[in-house]
Amino acid sequence: MKSALIPFAALVRDTFSEAFARRIFWGFAGCSTMLLAFLVFIMRIDVVAGALATITIFGRAMPTTDVEGLVHQTQSVIAMAMYFFGMALSVFASAGLVAAVFEPGRIELLLSKPVSRTEILMGRYVGNLLVVAANVVYLTAGSWIIFGIKTGMWGVGYLLSSLFTIFIFAVLLAVIVLVGVLWESAAVAIMITFGIMIVTPILAQKDSLERLLSSEWSRDLLRTLYYVLPKTSDISVIIRHLILTEPVDSWMPVWSTALFGLVVLGAGILHFRRRSF
Amino acid sequence: MPDYAIETENLTKVFRTRWPRRELTAVDNISLRVPCGSTYGLLGPNGAGKTTFVKMLLSAAHPTAGRAVVFGRDSRDPAARAPIGYLPENHRFPTYLTGWGMLDFYGALSGMNAPDRKRRIPELLHQVGLDERAHHLRLGKYSKGMLQRVGLAQALMHAPKLLVLDEPSDGVDPVGRRQIRDVLHALEQKGVTIFLNSHLLAEVELFCREVAIIQKGKLALSGTVLELTSGSGYRLEIAGASESLETELRGRARTAGSQNGFLQLLFATRADANEALDLARGNNCEVETFGRTRSTLEEVFMKTVEGE
Repeated sequence: MKSALIPFAALVRDTFSEAFARRIFWGFAGCSTMLLAFLVFIMRIDVVAGALATITIFGRAMPTTDVEGLVHQTQSVIAMAMYFFGMALSVFASAGLVAAVFEPGRIELLLSKPVSRTEILMGRYVGNLLVVAANVVYLTAGSWIIFGIKTGMWGVGYLLSSLFTIFIFAVLLAVIVLVGVLWESAAVAIMITFGIMIVTPILAQKDSLERLLSSEWSRDLLRTLYYVLPKTSDISVIIRHLILTEPVDSWMPVWSTALFGLVVLGAGILHFRRRSF
Repeated sequence: MPDYAIETENLTKVFRTRWPRRELTAVDNISLRVPCGSTYGLLGPNGAGKTTFVKMLLSAAHPTAGRAVVFGRDSRDPAARAPIGYLPENHRFPTYLTGWGMLDFYGALSGMNAPDRKRRIPELLHQVGLDERAHHLRLGKYSKGMLQRVGLAQALMHAPKLLVLDEPSDGVDPVGRRQIRDVLHALEQKGVTIFLNSHLLAEVELFCREVAIIQKGKLALSGTVLELTSGSGYRLEIAGASESLETELRGRARTAGSQNGFLQLLFATRADANEALDLARGNNCEVETFGRTRSTLEEVFMKTVEGE
């Protein structure tokens, strides 16, 4: 390994070690494994000549004939559960991982090493992102293979959906990093990130909400908040479209959310570089 | 190679809070030079600004004014920290790592490659007195003394040219302290500059050649331990002096007194002390002690911080 990469690789590896020492990530992996086991052993799908013969859950036959629709719906449910529930779990676990770096007695030692501050922060960011990505890919790829083997359907829409889940986590992690650098508090990071996760689906209903607002400035404020903040709800719709192999209306939610993430991460790095510990 | 391991020029750190609006000058205009290969002690009461000073050397805190230079490089340059090994005072090492894993991590952060780390880790753990069992024990199970030892090993991983130690023997038993001192002496022999920040004045006096005392953020005193502790006179202690001799000697001495049957005399100059010694020997007196008066570093420290 090139010597310049050794410290960065060590920082990423350290984040993995710390994540594995925290049981919440094992809890995430455990939930994924249980779901995969459910798909393997409990849900039985018999396909005859490309059409569904029977689907059995806990030994009970379910009334359906559309194999493609069934697989897509099931994949949608898993993807949405992972997107919202898995994301909440990941935010909860990651907030502590980021804040831990700034603990007095730990940060001074890290900063005393011949590593730039940007590298220290990015090492933790990338490490944390990879831990969550590993969990997401494990569940998505695992269930995709199981569905593929059981039904012969190997559409990539479901696999692509995991990239969007990882993407939205990367954006929320940028918020956690910024809050961590500013206040060194896991609790505040969780509150603010959960706040964004709760508020943005409401903002996504801006067209309906605008009709309820009487003043122009409040409508402007609503629109500004919608365009500035990440569009978690709109991206979940894009994921659903991808899985159901439907066309995506607009990619604006993706690029504007990416822009938000970049600005927030940049602000976190800038503040970290200027801070005294 | 530069002459100084550490050079600071008017180094100042002011902490400001926006609300309520307050300012605290933690380090005030300190200019200090630590020669390469020296053993240097930084002393000061709690809150004097020692830790902030050290943090600025390591670029963990940014100076408000002035600058710190390490081996000729500005401390803000990450490359300036490559030759530094650091052991913080209230360290919080990652408890999920083993002793081995921790050294591996911090060694990698210093840019060491895997084979070098693998070779160096057992060597260092042995050197600081941690046995085989401790190598693969999580740091969460380590005692305070074991953490200090592994912390010192961490600071030595990449064979630094400058060692900055904040209370290195804190929580270590007397045997461990001796071991740590031996390790530091061996490093001193190899030409490593050692910058020690400690409250244990006796330990600093025993180990450091030079010291600086910081008081309320300012540099109050600096110099070699020998210079600072050497007194301003000469002491003669004798027994068996006749009444007439005692009167004469008391007349020549700056101060005089008696204790446990000994006449204790203090002279201003070496010549006066030697004349008195000749006189005492000529009168068959027994000489108990003769030499230059010395203060302990603790006395120097107390005088400095109490403004005497």
